[in-house]
Amino acid sequence: MSVELPDTTGVVEQSPEEIADLLGDLAIGRDDHLNAPGFVIKPDTVVETLRRLRDDAGFDHLSCVTAQEYEDRYESIYHLTKYADRTQEVSIVVPADKEQPVSQSANEVFRTADWHEREAYDLVGIEYDEHPDHRRILLPETWQGHPLGLDYDQDQPQVVPLREHANPLLEDQEAEGDSETMFLNIGPHHPATHGVLHIKTVLDGEQVVDLEPDIGYLHRCEEQMCQNGTYRYQIMPYPDRWDYISAGLLNEWAYARVAEDMADIEVPEYAQVIRTMGAELCRMAAHFLALGTFALDIYGDFTALFMYSIRDRERVQNILEDLTGQRLMFNYFRLGGVVWDLPEPREEFFEKTRDFLDELPTALEEYHDMMTSNEILQLRTVDTGVLPPEVAKSYGATGPVARGSGIDYDLRRDDPYGYYENLDWDVVTEDGCDNFSRLLVRMREVEQSARIVEQCVDLLEDWPEDERTIQSNVPRTIKPDDDTEIYRAVEGAKGELGIYMRADGTDKPARFKIRSPCFSNLQTLPEMSNGEYVPDAIASLGSLDIVLGEVDR
Amino acid sequence: MAVPLQGEVMLPERIADLLGLGGIAGEVVGGLIGALIVGNVMLAMTGVAGPWAKRKITAAFTDRIAVDRIGPFGLLIIVADSVRLLSKELIIPEGADRPSYDLAPIILPASALLGFSVIPMGSGIQLADPEAGLALVFAFASIASVALVTGGYASNNKYSLMGGLRAVAQNIAYEIPLIVTAMSVVVFAGSLQMSTIVAEQTSTLISIAGVSIPAWYAFVNPFAFVLFLVANMAEIGRNPFDIPEAPTEIVAGYQTEYSSVYFVLFYLGEFLHVFLGGAIMATIFLGGPAGPVLPGFVWFVIKIWAFFLFTQWCRSAIPRVRIDQLIEIGWKGMLVLSFANLVLTAIIVGVIA
Amino acid sequence: MIGILKGMATTMKHALDGKTFTVKYPETAPEVSPRFRGVHKFSQERCIWCRQCENVCPNDTIQIVMDDQRNGEQYNLHIGQCIYCRLCEEVCPVDAILLTQNFEFTADTKDEFIYNKEQLKNVPWYKGIDPLNSRNPDRGAWIGEGDGEVDYQ
Repeated sequence: MSVELPDTTGVVEQSPEEIADLLGDLAIGRDDHLNAPGFVIKPDTVVETLRRLRDDAGFDHLSCVTAQEYEDRYESIYHLTKYADRTQEVSIVVPADKEQPVSQSANEVFRTADWHEREAYDLVGIEYDEHPDHRRILLPETWQGHPLGLDYDQDQPQVVPLREHANPLLEDQEAEGDSETMFLNIGPHHPATHGVLHIKTVLDGEQVVDLEPDIGYLHRCEEQMCQNGTYRYQIMPYPDRWDYISAGLLNEWAYARVAEDMADIEVPEYAQVIRTMGAELCRMAAHFLALGTFALDIYGDFTALFMYSIRDRERVQNILEDLTGQRLMFNYFRLGGVVWDLPEPREEFFEKTRDFLDELPTALEEYHDMMTSNEILQLRTVDTGVLPPEVAKSYGATGPVARGSGIDYDLRRDDPYGYYENLDWDVVTEDGCDNFSRLLVRMREVEQSARIVEQCVDLLEDWPEDERTIQSNVPRTIKPDDDTEIYRAVEGAKGELGIYMRADGTDKPARFKIRSPCFSNLQTLPEMSNGEYVPDAIASLGSLDIVLGEVDR
Repeated sequence: MAVPLQGEVMLPERIADLLGLGGIAGEVVGGLIGALIVGNVMLAMTGVAGPWAKRKITAAFTDRIAVDRIGPFGLLIIVADSVRLLSKELIIPEGADRPSYDLAPIILPASALLGFSVIPMGSGIQLADPEAGLALVFAFASIASVALVTGGYASNNKYSLMGGLRAVAQNIAYEIPLIVTAMSVVVFAGSLQMSTIVAEQTSTLISIAGVSIPAWYAFVNPFAFVLFLVANMAEIGRNPFDIPEAPTEIVAGYQTEYSSVYFVLFYLGEFLHVFLGGAIMATIFLGGPAGPVLPGFVWFVIKIWAFFLFTQWCRSAIPRVRIDQLIEIGWKGMLVLSFANLVLTAIIVGVIA
Repeated sequence: MIGILKGMATTMKHALDGKTFTVKYPETAPEVSPRFRGVHKFSQERCIWCRQCENVCPNDTIQIVMDDQRNGEQYNLHIGQCIYCRLCEEVCPVDAILLTQNFEFTADTKDEFIYNKEQLKNVPWYKGIDPLNSRNPDRGAWIGEGDGEVDYQ
């Protein structure tokens, strides 16, 4: 493995037994998941358990919180892992009473639990004690029932009387005793929200005093749709639609990885190389768009940069279209491989890809001329939207956002999958913690992706003709054993894209939970923006590079 | 002292002469017709700039084709766009402060058009040439701030309010350096009268190999020219100083709530201000309508279009600064520099002359 | 200052080189990859009414109506609802349903996007590309007949 490993000194690997010893009486049972030891704890000891795991065992990354309802109980699962060593995972299972599902909030230990638990309450119906802001998050406040609960009536009309739906801001609102501030709705229709995001902002003059993202406008029940699809075919088209900014193959890989691990499917090496190449092309396309929209936020609507980045993204998309048959919604991966081999004639495809890679340095030089070396851009972005690494970790920030804060964390290297570990590339980090660093990280990641694609092209070109297996032998119907649970993640364009799946013996998952990187990253926005100017808040939002399709799912 | 280019005959007087009218009637009719001509020429230029030229220029910078469907080079898009914009519904927001909401879109283009009244456009086109012409043109241009803050406040929208406030803060911060820099030109020319300033620039600065470079103040004092250019960009609110509108931050600033005809008026007003900014630049730094071969008016138009092109160029490549940085640049940077420039100019002129 | 000028020089370079990246769309029809997945084409002659496409469709876009002798009567496909995943083509054992390269389709209302078998049959090839040829080389690999349980529905 040629990739430089993170500094893991001081990180001790714990065996499941050691964790069990550490937890002692806190653990009242075991519920092992496929690649993580699971411990069942009492609902009122969540904070104590998580704190002990974080402080004494180094599990400093609350990757995801999954909530689900069984016939006899509710369950919240805290998927913990380490920024220093991603392969270490532990699941903390917190059962809650069927009649009165109440569980302690983990918000005190991990601030990321705030939104994750709100989502759990919203969709499943578990209540979290001591939660600072116990409200719905994706669905409107007036929603009746919890849609992922077992007894939820899908046909129930959600009729809301006008008085409850009336605009709460219709009347003049003035904070008592503090008439210095102004409340401002940024969004849901606003040029800079990159989708339908609503940010409730309190301003003091031009400065942001308080800021709260309000999400859920693009909630499309992706989890439920996946729960209604068969493992083998019907789920794969949907990941393309989570992060729809050309990151399709990366998302597909998240599902492919979790399902392949669950059903124990081997992927041929040749297919892995194709997957790696496709995924990195997608990452480049996604980062190009991130650069372009960030430029829009800083430069204004008539910047040439946006068109230049779109132009380069189009080039990537042309290659992807040749490979997958679609420009955005690829549906190219299959369990056990990919659907097509490289397009014939192969030489033409290689040439096209190489041409693109050869021209890339020139294009990047242009970006550097127009963005990073521009003094006004530096003036605008350096030391604004500062996200210290500790805060980023507490919020579960991943991807370029974490790497822009100096956190050396990349699943492609830390939890290797695909063909990454056999290739020569670097994880990019920047220590500035500000908007400029996040911009730089993305630009340099494009270079690294290009390196990976180049090596993949070389490999594919020389691949012996009779070993080009693109799919392994996978049965037409996959029925994993009852109660198999797994949480797996890949490095998406925006960060750690994880999926939790629980099988119930049928050919469809019983619970499908998506850990969206944007969801966690967006949570850091108030930390970055409070006290800053409005334009900086907008720039910070742009530098987070969120896709609302993935935030709201 | 050089003689003013166009002599003393202004456009209204000529028209009155042509019509054979004299006295007060001649002044009124001549003035009205003259104003009509100049105003319409400017508005026509705006009409070309807004729906067509701006798109074509931006497209050139971004490797696109842009409008090309209707008419030659897509020029008839101007007609199509006017019809489209004028036929849209005029939506007036609830709680808008009515008279001021309606007045703002009229004040904005009117203030810019007034400014053109004292600009010498070459080929004998100048409506008036008062002795305080330069002061007058800045005074007219500054009325725009009133329109912006009125529109911003009257729209009953927080984005509009912020846009209006930003516009005022910005205009105050940049008006002073702008005028102080212009004063350095006045020190050179020894007059506020526009025709005199233009005439002063006709003399030859130096001759290189038979090509004489005129004493345009841009060549005489390039430092003042750059200062004025920057301050002018801020004054007309273009990148990197398009903060009052800043679409990605405050939607569209003061014009967020304006639609249909009112929107068109705001739009016209903004473009007129860009052209007025270009006209002032041309007059006091680039020799006004002076230029070889082509008639003066053509040169004048070329110069203001060059400035328009420059604003669009900046728009394609320069990020917007933040409002506090803008104020800082204005008060701490530009103001100091412009005064330094003025004092230096005064010393140089005092010592040499 | 140098950075700003560099940026301005870059855009000016693009303005002056006269190259455009966009094309005049209806006049210049874009090149589409032979693998591109557009509107479906259906062949009743080939179809054996096995209903596999209907079963595999992730969002119930295909609707098949049969009489009581299991003879096909209707084959309806909502091309506005379709997500163009190509799973129907992938499972079809007789190539009765294919995705053409045709991406140009418009209608006044959503209902008009519900194509019946006649309309599906009349969908034109895009630039005469027959997708079967370009996809043929790997056809064997599409249908992963494994050694596990096979359910013929």
